[in-house]
Amino acid sequence: MLILSAMYILVALGFALLFSIAGILHVSHGAIYTVSGYICWQLSQAAGINQWLALVLTVLIVGSFGLFLERFCFRPFTGDFDRSLVVGIGIILILQTTIVVTVGQESRSMSPFVAGILNAGPVSVSLERLVTFAIGAALLGVLVWFINNTKPGLQMRAMSQDLQGAIMQGININRVSAIAVVIACASAAVAGCLMGAYINLNPFMGDVVLGKALILVILGGMGSMTGIFYAGLLLGALDATLPVFFSGSVAEVIAMGAIIVVLLFRPTGFLGRAIA
Amino acid sequence: MLLELHKVSKHFSGLVAVDNFDMSIGAGELVGLIGPNGAGKSTIFNLITGVLPVTKGKIIFDGEDITDKRPHEVAELGVGRTFQLNPLFSDFTVLENVVASFHLRPKSSVLSALLNTTTYRKHEASIKEQAMEILKLLGLDKVKDELGKHLPHGHRLVLGIARALAVKPKLLLLDEPTRGMSLEEIDLALGAIERVCQQGVTIVLVEHNMEVIDFCDRVVVMSFGRKIAEGSIDQVRKNEEVIKAYLGDINAA
Amino acid sequence: MKWKLPYLSTRGNMAKPGFWAGLLIILLVLPLFIKSPYLIHIINMTFIYIILTVSFRTIMTSGQLPLAHAGFMGIGAYVSAIAAKWFGLTPWLSIPLGALVAMGVGILIGYPFARLRAVYYAMISLFFGMLILSAVKAFAKWTGGAAGLTAIPPLLGFSKVPYYYFFLGLTAVSLLVLYRLEISRPGVTWKAIAQSHLVAASVGINEARYRIIASAIGCLFAGIAGATYAHYNTVVGTTSFSFMATIMLLIYVVVGGVGSFIGPIVGVFLLMTVPELLRELREYVPYISAAIVLIVVFLMPKGVTGLVKSFLSWLAELWKSRRTSDAP
Repeated sequence: MLILSAMYILVALGFALLFSIAGILHVSHGAIYTVSGYICWQLSQAAGINQWLALVLTVLIVGSFGLFLERFCFRPFTGDFDRSLVVGIGIILILQTTIVVTVGQESRSMSPFVAGILNAGPVSVSLERLVTFAIGAALLGVLVWFINNTKPGLQMRAMSQDLQGAIMQGININRVSAIAVVIACASAAVAGCLMGAYINLNPFMGDVVLGKALILVILGGMGSMTGIFYAGLLLGALDATLPVFFSGSVAEVIAMGAIIVVLLFRPTGFLGRAIA
Repeated sequence: MLLELHKVSKHFSGLVAVDNFDMSIGAGELVGLIGPNGAGKSTIFNLITGVLPVTKGKIIFDGEDITDKRPHEVAELGVGRTFQLNPLFSDFTVLENVVASFHLRPKSSVLSALLNTTTYRKHEASIKEQAMEILKLLGLDKVKDELGKHLPHGHRLVLGIARALAVKPKLLLLDEPTRGMSLEEIDLALGAIERVCQQGVTIVLVEHNMEVIDFCDRVVVMSFGRKIAEGSIDQVRKNEEVIKAYLGDINAA
Repeated sequence: MKWKLPYLSTRGNMAKPGFWAGLLIILLVLPLFIKSPYLIHIINMTFIYIILTVSFRTIMTSGQLPLAHAGFMGIGAYVSAIAAKWFGLTPWLSIPLGALVAMGVGILIGYPFARLRAVYYAMISLFFGMLILSAVKAFAKWTGGAAGLTAIPPLLGFSKVPYYYFFLGLTAVSLLVLYRLEISRPGVTWKAIAQSHLVAASVGINEARYRIIASAIGCLFAGIAGATYAHYNTVVGTTSFSFMATIMLLIYVVVGGVGSFIGPIVGVFLLMTVPELLRELREYVPYISAAIVLIVVFLMPKGVTGLVKSFLSWLAELWKSRRTSDAP
């Protein structure tokens, strides 16, 4: 399921960005993902706006919401893990409950962004799958390019390596943090909308995604973007091959066991740096 | 000999921090370990106490090979130490800091603590008494209820010594005990060290303050991880290598 | 990014026997005045969660964040339930079995985990919690998998009131044990490790050993909570033992105040009991919890108990200064 991998990596990257640059342990990132799906649903199904337009609007809305969150809810608690965790949970509760209260607990579905099947010789692939994957991969590519080749990207990497040093270099950390937040929320938003259409929407889907994103971030190593890629690929590979030999949940146990063993020997993940 | 280091070396992937270091300390001695910054003095302490693993060589304490022992095992054998950056139990009061450090002697099991047995209560009472004695010895008894994090710098360092004493050590390793202290605080610390010495504890001091070093029976000089001189203060002062180490080689300019 | 340790201090000032004796008496006669079984049920659940959160905090005092705690509750619950349901063991035996297995697992993983620094321990515990849940789903034949396990033999029949007294007694004993450990030497040793593992080692404290002991005790009580829960509710599902469930425990502790032994109790009361009591607002309940959580986090850095303590000491100061100004 390359699609799942790509989406998880998107969300994980956003989470990692928020952690290593804005210094936020953003447990509500999963809820951002969920809410985006619902906003898109609301805009396209209920208000009848073109679905692609709805996607763009959702990204804008969620991006700004992310800015608001960062400024008022998370910045007062940088470095204080316990309390930013608590704030994050508070936000999750609020977001999830709003969804449940306004729309209801049952799953909703969105019409696919692109319908139809592509027949390419012996293989037929649903266009939706293709497009979803393409967008996901493209977005990832853009993100990677952005982090490695643009000035803000460079500033972000500087900040994640040495915050004090970055300040002394004259980098405006608040501005760069804000950019990071917007990027992170935007990518989660896209993932949320796409997956909402591809599978369906339920108020708690963010929890699962957050769990997977956490695995990727920790396994790949905090503060290392490429590490997350490798972790994502590894997990995708495990996800695809293990179920062939073992039943689904046993495969899960083996996968988790493997992760724990890896972490025991390399607590910083594949490519991460030590945390204080 | 109470403490012997035989050809001890410590490598940090490429960097040689300690090179073939030999040292012997006899019981009851007060020895100074000096040298310019970065010479490896704190590393020696960390090697002795097992905080860092030894790359090569042997360390023998009171007849036992402690080269591979872990820090708490070394403490159990009777080695107490202070740390250069002087970490403390900052959320404990001065008294609690010392009481907590009486972990080893006398030892109570978790079960006896849970059941509040008579033995446990006796132990705790005796610990409290001994803790107060140490505080009085070092002049900290008046601040016994101050939180560790609120203590001024000088008191913190003395508290570090108090904590090390709770181990009832045969050997005390003091890492720059007067660092950053005011003149009065240094007097306080010196008095404390003197009294500890009189109780028969062997002390090895890392210091930059020559006033303190003057008290020592003997001095070992380190530079770039190696021992470059050893002997009385006067002998060492006249040693050319030592002068070069501290002042740099003037002729090489 | 520095891992900031919570402020920890318990100086034995909770032990005002008069207050607790009085409270006990009130609690003993309370069921006579409550007719609604639903209310009794809420109180029973409160007792169970008090045991869970206080033991969670006990592990925290040794500098470890046990993010698998709800998972250990699950171990206790499932082991006991399976032993009773499929193997016919009486709940009176299967409950201790479940608790001991939970403790055993806690000790087993304690060995490799106790050598890790705080952050890494937290992360690995998190994954271990997930592993427990995956294992539960993998052995679905015995555990009922994601759908849950039903028809678990009850411990004391089906009426709620006998359980009330059972849990009251169980909670009282558990709190006594955990409090006793906290204020005696083991508690001091744990907090020493949490504050500076370097200094602790230098005074002879075997950090790994004491961290494992903390885990063992914490997991034992988590197992007790889980096993008794299983035979009270007669139904268990994986959601009660998930990562989110553990996070909620952490929230209860933080909101109530990490620095105080009864902090977790306050947290459970505010964030679980009170919202449950407002059942007419069922759907809006998380809003209330979220509101409480955000208020506490923004305004009370040391949790509710921290605020109360500060308030009380401020009052004490005020009283002292009034006294002296009265003197001629």
